[in-house]
Amino acid sequence: MTLIRRAATLIRHNALPALRQPIYRWMLFLMCLMAVGVGAALVVFIKGLGVTNLTDLVPWGLWISVDLSAIALAAGAFSISAIAYLLRRKELQPVARTAVYVGFVGYSIAMMMLLLDIGRPDRFWHGFVFWNIHSPLWEVTMCVGLYFSVLMLEVMPILGHWQPVEHRFPRLSHRLGSLHKLTPYLAFVGLCLSTLHQSSLGLTYGKLVARPIWYRPWPMAISFYLSAIVGGMALVTFISLVSARLTPRARVNKVTLDKLAYTVGWAVLFLLVLRWWDLMSMPVDYEPAKSEALYILTRGRLAFNFWGLEIVLGMVLPAVLLLVGHFRRIERVRILALALVAVGVVAYRWDTNLVGQLVVFGQVPGSDVPLFTNYTPSLIEILTATGVIAYGLLAVTFGVRYLNVIDHGEVVEAPAKASVPAAVVPSSYR
Amino acid sequence: MSSIDRRDFLKLGLAATATAAVGIGMSRIPLPMTATSAEPEPDTIIPADEPAVIARGDHDQPSPHHWVMVIDQSKCVGCDLCLAACHAYNDTPPNISWSRVEEVEPTAEGRRVFRPTPCMHCEDAPCVEICPVGATYHRYDGLVMMDYERCIGCRYCQLSCPYGVRHFNWEAFTGPNPDVPAAGHPEVPRRPRGVVEKCSFCVQRIDRGLAIGLTPGFDPDATPACVVACTYGARLFGDLNDPDSPVSIALRQRPDAYRLKEELGTGPRVYYLPAEPALEESAS
Repeated sequence: MTLIRRAATLIRHNALPALRQPIYRWMLFLMCLMAVGVGAALVVFIKGLGVTNLTDLVPWGLWISVDLSAIALAAGAFSISAIAYLLRRKELQPVARTAVYVGFVGYSIAMMMLLLDIGRPDRFWHGFVFWNIHSPLWEVTMCVGLYFSVLMLEVMPILGHWQPVEHRFPRLSHRLGSLHKLTPYLAFVGLCLSTLHQSSLGLTYGKLVARPIWYRPWPMAISFYLSAIVGGMALVTFISLVSARLTPRARVNKVTLDKLAYTVGWAVLFLLVLRWWDLMSMPVDYEPAKSEALYILTRGRLAFNFWGLEIVLGMVLPAVLLLVGHFRRIERVRILALALVAVGVVAYRWDTNLVGQLVVFGQVPGSDVPLFTNYTPSLIEILTATGVIAYGLLAVTFGVRYLNVIDHGEVVEAPAKASVPAAVVPSSYR
Repeated sequence: MSSIDRRDFLKLGLAATATAAVGIGMSRIPLPMTATSAEPEPDTIIPADEPAVIARGDHDQPSPHHWVMVIDQSKCVGCDLCLAACHAYNDTPPNISWSRVEEVEPTAEGRRVFRPTPCMHCEDAPCVEICPVGATYHRYDGLVMMDYERCIGCRYCQLSCPYGVRHFNWEAFTGPNPDVPAAGHPEVPRRPRGVVEKCSFCVQRIDRGLAIGLTPGFDPDATPACVVACTYGARLFGDLNDPDSPVSIALRQRPDAYRLKEELGTGPRVYYLPAEPALEESAS
């Protein structure tokens, strides 16, 4: 009884007043979404994938799109690290720290999603033990596993700087902080592993001779790789700018981020050209299944996603907003443009995943006349995906608030002065 | 009287006959036509609770056999008896059929044409190439096998298969199988929830038959269940390396035989004899 009463007073005096602050409300909201997601995930684990709307015709749906997007948007980690440490752009080193944290969150989202998506989650480790080196998906499994370890090593110094760790376990904090010495090497390893698996994810689709719209190994691999880099850099810049507007705990170097946004602007323009080229290289003459898939993409069910989200909102508009100095100088516009780039990359992954599956080729009476199928995610799929995304947002919020992952005022030298709390270092840009 | 009534009557009659045939087959009473061949000894028959042959075999030694299935579309009436036999012998759930029978374009005279589609056991199989854990693989004799103990259920093979013959176990299949006759029992263990399954060309029957000196394609006990069950003789099976096997003879006689989506270069092991006699004439 006393325990309950004590808990009640604790809630009344501490938790309820705290909830008046928007940040705690936001975190509580995310935690609720996560709780629902965990419940839904339990249903999936207990009842099996029969609770999804996936079928033998569309076996890859919302979850695959979420983890493809999460991996793509996590690509800022390797690309910004590579620019900062391999191209020796020192001013980007603190941004790389943010990027590595965001990347870590992105990859953990993808791994949770994948664990749900495979039919036998108890055998998730099979990819590491039973090798089929011809399979792009095996390559992705290995590289994602290894790269996640790299990201963990890169995130360790950030965790070491977390106040409770620093205060209670100063020696551990120092140990973890000293891992920062490895960063340039990890940046190199990360660049290699990411290049391999980001392009292999495109090849996963591009290798399939059974689906003519996907069967373009090189274009698929290259556009997955490049769009991941652009989306990842945009997301890191976006998160930094938004956090800096919301909380004084995030300290950014506006000059650096402006340069980064300008780079993203050019990159997205390049991506647009590439995507257009890819589209234009498709056949004008009728080709079974490919023509139908192109129809779905450009005029059918995915047309809004393709023209609206991918091309106009995801590439044309952000390119204009980021390259025309007049627009870019308005911070709100810059933030909007960067968010749109990320949205465009997500839309690209969703469209690509679905477009090959919606045309059922050769499973049809008469055989060679393609037939269309449909897919709408079930409520359980949506709830689990939302839960996992809520985890990602919560992790980023936590990182910004408690781990100082966005502190671009401090120029980190390698090796870092590990035990100096980042917040003490004066920021010259505020 | 239209011809459809007569066909329906024939279909029903033959379905009943063949169901009886499947039942007899599963009860292991030797049929008159197997009497000439060596009779299987009871102890050589693999009990159902033992796992089917999933030994990966030795790739260094080329197999003397080249198993092939030939499907004569002029004989297939779309009665689904092959599927009934397949369900019974391989214990597939009611919502999964390892092969499917589709109605395709009718002939010029308007006769209905059907096309059964089992796993093609491609020589250059996309699924074998892309399975991330190697759970689907080529056996020593080139048949495409599934290792249900290794499959993680990622369903990538379903995307890769140009013929759509791979099926995922979305739900657990429990309880008695309504497709198994009371007198018999399936020959292979049931697959768990969360793995992909597909037609195996009844390797358990081929292997068991070979072990006791039978010839797959000739002896029903060594031949895939669907081939045995087809009362129309629309499905043939055998060794293409043996010039006297039913498949070699059929493919020699019918140069117009075709395979599905040959242009993809997958090298399917299932050949079709078209129903259209016009094609036959033009080809010869």
